[in-house]
Amino acid sequence: MTVLLEARGVIKRFGGLTAVDGVDISVAAGKMVGLIGPNGSGKTTLFDCLSRVQAVDAGLIRFCGTDITGRRAHDVARMGMSRTFQIIRVYRDLSVAENMHLSLQWGALGLPGLFARTDAATRRRADELLDFLLLSRLRHERAGNLSGGQRRLLEIGMSLMSEPRLVLLDEATSGVNPTLVADIADRIRAVNAEQQVAFLLVEHNVQFVADLCERVVVLDQGAVLAEGTPGEVTQDPAVIEAYFGDPGGGAEPDGEADPAESAPRTGESASSTEGPAS
Amino acid sequence: MSAQAGGALRGGRLLRVVGGLVGLVVLVVLAVLPLLSGTSNATLLTLTLMLTSIGVAVNWNLTGGFTGYVDFGHAVWFGIGAYATAILISLQPNGPQVGWHPVPAIVVGALVAGVLAAAIGRATMRLKGPYFSIAMLGTFVAVREIVRVWSPLTGGGVGLTLPPYLNRQLFYYVELALVVLLVSFTWWLRRTRFGAALVAIREDEIGAETRGIDTTRLKTAIFSFAGLSTGLFGALWAYQNTFVDPDIAFVEVRTIDAVMGTMLGGLGTVAGPVLGAAALYWLREVLWANLLDYHLLTQGVLLIVVVLFVPRGLVGLVDRRGASLAEVWGWKGRRRGGGAADRLTEEGLGDSAAAGPAGGDRDGPAQARAGSEPGSGAQGETAAGGDAETEALS
Repeated sequence: MTVLLEARGVIKRFGGLTAVDGVDISVAAGKMVGLIGPNGSGKTTLFDCLSRVQAVDAGLIRFCGTDITGRRAHDVARMGMSRTFQIIRVYRDLSVAENMHLSLQWGALGLPGLFARTDAATRRRADELLDFLLLSRLRHERAGNLSGGQRRLLEIGMSLMSEPRLVLLDEATSGVNPTLVADIADRIRAVNAEQQVAFLLVEHNVQFVADLCERVVVLDQGAVLAEGTPGEVTQDPAVIEAYFGDPGGGAEPDGEADPAESAPRTGESASSTEGPAS
Repeated sequence: MSAQAGGALRGGRLLRVVGGLVGLVVLVVLAVLPLLSGTSNATLLTLTLMLTSIGVAVNWNLTGGFTGYVDFGHAVWFGIGAYATAILISLQPNGPQVGWHPVPAIVVGALVAGVLAAAIGRATMRLKGPYFSIAMLGTFVAVREIVRVWSPLTGGGVGLTLPPYLNRQLFYYVELALVVLLVSFTWWLRRTRFGAALVAIREDEIGAETRGIDTTRLKTAIFSFAGLSTGLFGALWAYQNTFVDPDIAFVEVRTIDAVMGTMLGGLGTVAGPVLGAAALYWLREVLWANLLDYHLLTQGVLLIVVVLFVPRGLVGLVDRRGASLAEVWGWKGRRRGGGAADRLTEEGLGDSAAAGPAGGDRDGPAQARAGSEPGSGAQGETAAGGDAETEALS
């Protein structure tokens, strides 16, 4: 099993705040890895470091056996790592098809390709992907006019256009309705199975991660808190405490209504103890 | 909905065909004009200067309109082209007295502007939005003062006189050919991946970079080309003007005209800067002739009207790839459509680009720590409220 992406001791600081604090993470070729953690645990910053949108303060990042720590973002993209963004980035004033055409493998173009129009092969690939992502009827629509979920799908399509080896998906399901979430999971699974594309997923939707990934990494306050199968991780007391904030309450995300949790602070907030009872 | 869109597209195509035909007729008229007996040298000079103004606006649009780098000092390339050419041609005692033939001097003058544009653009294009604009304005003023002070090379504030060569017809045809070439080039460029990538840089530079576009190289390349091309117009201008000094070679109004003309016609469109710069030039001549005291005021009012009511310019009304200045600078939500979700995302994008995704995390850890303290009420939001939370924060 070859290691596709490997990061060692990645540190990223913003002023006095250490957003990513010595994270080690690796993704093997053709595998799917989940990255979860509470808000502000450094997931997106880690993504930014891995895709070279942000420079790291310390650490080593290797992709396909090459040290990419000092590489530029477009270089890394051309090597076969693509990504999506938590805050969706599509070219809003261009059509859906144009967005796809502009996300091709730029590394393979060369100067003549740069000064040519979009070729038939690129169009075909874009059309296939749009079909696959159920977006083909919106091909000529302005990307900014799409709904949030459709734009998520478009961004996933754009990240697949360049035939990447690894895709970093940053909250691919946020703001997407449940039926579409199932669709997205299906598409990701299909791409992974058919083309051996590896995925690293940042998610708040734990079920989504558990369904897709064999291995999950949990970040908390910029450091790796736990790592293992979804089952192991969700049973880990440290994870439960950090992620769900409740050592005794188990893996229910709806902790705010949990009486066990409000109990210790009855002194301050009487209303919250009465809440569940009524 | 889709039928409407189709109709609009067809309408756009019809307009494009009609526009192209009108353009061809105008071109033919311009081509035969000097051959008509009634055409005076003064008319030719006016038209030549109008063509110069159009050329500079078309060049400005390559960086300002297509790529989204609004250059408030673009006239610096005009001045550098003019000065480099003048230095190479002039035999005036206070200059270096090189005494080249005008043709190689004009070519080298343009190249000097291009090379300096590559060097300066490499540095200033690290800045985004209005910061880049102001840096270029600073470059413009600095270069003018350097030219004024560096008198052994430039002749200082006195300026340089060139041997007169007053063939108006030749200059007219050369500039007409240049403008036609330049507009054709822009038309072609916009259809290539290079042109599309420039628009991608304008729309979302970080996104373009992470999708494999070498944004630094492409934007510097187009900026250098625009500098070289504007330098060529400057070089030609210097030779036909037979005199340069810092205050007539480096004029703010040349930049303002390029910006205003392009905005009037439509940022990021092919025909926009041509129409806009021509209209502006003509309007100024008319206003100057009839409203001497108020012509600048009228021009200012016109600019305000354009920004407020036709922000995407005349051609921008029908050309989907056009943009308004606010859109180029990412100041406001894009036109047409976009509900609440749209605006939420727009706010996120409006953030300083590199810090954008990280900004969400900045307040995060404190909050996460608070959440993990026993007794604080923040536990529930991690899973359920997470998405909205992070988006709102960024």
